[in-house]
Amino acid sequence: MAPTLPSSDQASDQDNWDNGRLARKRQLLIEIVLRNKLTALVVDGDTTCRVLEQLLLRSYGVQTQGVDNGRDAVALIASGVKFDLIIIDMILPVLNGLEATRQIRDMGVHCKMLGVTICSGESERQVFLAAGVDVFIEKPLDPEHLVPILRELDGQ
Amino acid sequence: MESKHVHQQIAAMRQSFFDEEVLDEKFSQLEQLEGKDNPNFVEEVFTMYFRDSTAFLETIEQAMKTIPIDSIKVDNILHQLKGSSASVGANKVLKEVNKTRQVLGKGNLEGTKAGILELRKEYDSFKAKLEPYFQKLKQANSVAQEK
Repeated sequence: MAPTLPSSDQASDQDNWDNGRLARKRQLLIEIVLRNKLTALVVDGDTTCRVLEQLLLRSYGVQTQGVDNGRDAVALIASGVKFDLIIIDMILPVLNGLEATRQIRDMGVHCKMLGVTICSGESERQVFLAAGVDVFIEKPLDPEHLVPILRELDGQ
Repeated sequence: MESKHVHQQIAAMRQSFFDEEVLDEKFSQLEQLEGKDNPNFVEEVFTMYFRDSTAFLETIEQAMKTIPIDSIKVDNILHQLKGSSASVGANKVLKEVNKTRQVLGKGNLEGTKAGILELRKEYDSFKAKLEPYFQKLKQANSVAQEK
């Protein structure tokens, strides 16, 4: 049996619905095409934040892993796994982000480290940069801040 | 016709969230992460957010009843709630978290208790608004996929 086409009224409703959503996407999406396969580690104790940060990275084609505390992040790096980018929250359970960052840098890891935190004061920024992150961003992570970093890592 | 009516309802609900500043532009950014492979992604994120935030609030409310009050514990949980609320665009909830943290930071425990009551009210109101919205959205998406 041949599939029936939707009536023109139904098709235009669905088209309008999809077009509306697409229009919103076009307004906000910063599109980039990565030439290389980039990898990232997301270290965030909050599930919602960690999942969203990973999803944002994956939407740009970055392969990601996530851990929810500083100790696991240090252990993963110590095991030899390499990443192009580490995104790390300042406040983490078990081992905080500052100490985890110091330990990762002490291992001789030179990859880009992006410190994120919900606290955006100058003192927090200075402390996180001193611990070894390259860039400090106030949460939530957004395409406007992330895309230039990904382009730089991709050699664009 | 029914489909059009549902879509109009959903669009109106969504717009009202922005007009009332219940949601901010971060919500729009989440919507753009949805795709054909994960059409209910935003709803799933909010399910996760509501599950964790409800637990956070209950922990805070319990902590405020203990003597002495562990202010550091309360602040750490408020910090987490701040981060997740900001990540999903829960604008008014975020504002109440910020207000409460400021009061707590000044050592005003009575003020903090009042702040947590306001935070609870705002959070419950937010959840009561968003959950029906996502239910309608899921129904509309299911109908669209069947066609």
